[in-house]
Amino acid sequence: MARRINLSRFVPYFFLIIPLLIYLIWVIGPTIYTFYLSLTDWDGLSQPHFIGFQNYEKLFRDPVFYISLKNNIKWLISFITIPVVAGLALAMALSRSIPGERFFKAGFYSPMVLSLVVSGLIWSWMYHPANGLINSVLRSVGLDFLAKGWLSDKNLVIWAIIVVAIWRQVGYVMVLYLAGLAGINPALIDASKIDGCNAWNTFRHVILPLLTPVTVIVVVISIIDSLRAFDLVSVMTRGGPYNSSSVLANFMYIEAFNNYKMGYGAAISVVLFLISLVFILFYLTRVLQDELEY
Amino acid sequence: MKTRLLLLLSLVLLLGVATACVAPQAPAGQPVEVTKIVEKPVAKQIVIYNSYMSDPAPREADEALVKMFMEQNPDIEVVHSTVAHEDFKQAIRAYLTASTPPDVLTWFAGNRARFFIDKGLIMDISDVWEEQGWNETYPAGFRALSTVDGKQYFLPASWYWWAVYYSKSTFEKYGLQEPQTWEEFLQVCETLKANGVTPLTIGTKYRWTAAAWFDYLNMRVNGPEFHINLMLGKERYDDPRVKKVFTDYWAPLIANGYFIENPAAYSWSEAIPFMANGEAAMYLMGDFIRDSYPQEQVDDLGFFRFPIIDPNVPVGEDAPTDGWFIAAKAQHPEAAKKLLAFFGSKEAQQYMADTLGRLPTNMEVDTSNFTDAQRQGLDLIQKADFVAQFYDRDTTPEMADVGMNGFMEFWDNPDSIDDILARLEAKRAELFGE
Repeated sequence: MARRINLSRFVPYFFLIIPLLIYLIWVIGPTIYTFYLSLTDWDGLSQPHFIGFQNYEKLFRDPVFYISLKNNIKWLISFITIPVVAGLALAMALSRSIPGERFFKAGFYSPMVLSLVVSGLIWSWMYHPANGLINSVLRSVGLDFLAKGWLSDKNLVIWAIIVVAIWRQVGYVMVLYLAGLAGINPALIDASKIDGCNAWNTFRHVILPLLTPVTVIVVVISIIDSLRAFDLVSVMTRGGPYNSSSVLANFMYIEAFNNYKMGYGAAISVVLFLISLVFILFYLTRVLQDELEY
Repeated sequence: MKTRLLLLLSLVLLLGVATACVAPQAPAGQPVEVTKIVEKPVAKQIVIYNSYMSDPAPREADEALVKMFMEQNPDIEVVHSTVAHEDFKQAIRAYLTASTPPDVLTWFAGNRARFFIDKGLIMDISDVWEEQGWNETYPAGFRALSTVDGKQYFLPASWYWWAVYYSKSTFEKYGLQEPQTWEEFLQVCETLKANGVTPLTIGTKYRWTAAAWFDYLNMRVNGPEFHINLMLGKERYDDPRVKKVFTDYWAPLIANGYFIENPAAYSWSEAIPFMANGEAAMYLMGDFIRDSYPQEQVDDLGFFRFPIIDPNVPVGEDAPTDGWFIAAKAQHPEAAKKLLAFFGSKEAQQYMADTLGRLPTNMEVDTSNFTDAQRQGLDLIQKADFVAQFYDRDTTPEMADVGMNGFMEFWDNPDSIDDILARLEAKRAELFGE
């Protein structure tokens, strides 16, 4: 009898062996190897030589690193404000039944369905300085002075890309908040109305606090998404003109796969990993806590 | 009972995975199979060919060549994959270092091929050169381009020239002649500008189009010898001669509005429509512009040599050479060499020259059918005192990356040229050592 129980305990592990092995070989292994590579001068072909922290010293003196970091921060700040507020507002508007509510929900969510590469391409055409939708419309209403080279102006380019990312993110945040709103007990809202709250006070003091767990998750997801931003930049500008729209992931890609400085690229990805880790750990502890609460 | 069954099942699954790894070797020991092979006409050999000819016209020609080869060699199956040009450039390291690399690959002649040859990743094909008689049928210059330490590693396939392309109809409309000198060129620009036509189109999204301007201005102002030494890291970027190129020649073109607006928003081919629809008139470009120009307007395309700035300076031209090599670790070296021998043959070279209008490297190719453009291009290069490959082929990839970013920054802000050149010089010193 006792023997059988022991066996049944092992069964799940038998099934886990293959996925665990795969995870170890293709995820954990390369992560550790990347740490090692960041301490070498590997060029992708020759034997890597250990060079200590030289890559990191070089990185912290590299102006492109700071441009990329600043762009990531711009991205991050835009991402934890605009889509969160807009997504929440849309969720509030669409959570009650209004005519065509399903259509609007689907409409706002649909950018999320497109792959980032496709979004990037479509917006590149819209941003086309001579024949693009945006400049054509601006010119046709006489606002010629606003028609810019959106992706070729070094001061505008990163914002032009962030707009695309926000356009995509709003629907996603909206759906998360809609789910959160669906989980709120209507009795609580009715109670607040009986107690004499107006709409704003109900929102401010009842709904918003109840949505806190969702908000935390939304913010952390937005932070992580903004740190791993790569696709849109790569498709729309490749970090150009002259690195002014570079982000850390794109910087790493160019150094490693274009300039063949694998060691240096590894160092960039380690720094990016460490920054992300702070938020990921925060997110994970939060998620685990929530699980315990319920 | 149930748990035992599950346990058994998982064991079976594991075993299945284990045996799957061993399985392919099993039939090898069975001699019976041999008779079967004899029954078939021939056992097909395989050769894997990765190509970066991803633009529509070259791709079609490339595929046609492979088909011709397979018709002549029914015993060989070519596994041909075409990879987008920019992606290929980044993937080639993975290809060449893989334990089972593709056999035959397209690549660039000169320093870019030399880099891999020096690392021992490319197969010595001196025997193919010898057997095919290429030592006689290929010009010495191309042979030198393919040779490292007395052995041949590369097959130069075709080459093309760079020139200033222009719309003949636009030039005719304003009574313009092909300019020979810098003064005449500026005059042409001024006339076009005065008539509301932007003189020069360019798409600098991927930056190398701007590098062409640097190559030519530097070669015309300072001479090809200085230029190539700069590429090899033997001259300094903060040299006043380099600065002169930017401040005296390039900056006025930008300041006068001779280039289209927002070039950084367009790839090289996205800048073509401005010229095709008459908004712009000229484009400094390689002959592959012909492949992407609207087909019904190709005949309107003329070209002239980049204008001479200083007649005392030897004339240098960019004429990048593309070709093929075999990976050192190729799994099918015999078939690969056969394919390469075909690519280098008179027949294949003739086909490429006739369909794409590139210039062949094999001297046996019949040039009597050459178009006027081909003759003119050939003449352009034969009259040159020196032939360079191109900025990002003559210098190292990392220097080229920083350099081209510098050109783009200069384009936006010509006043910051001192800072930019100081930065380029720092990179050069780091890469080439002082």
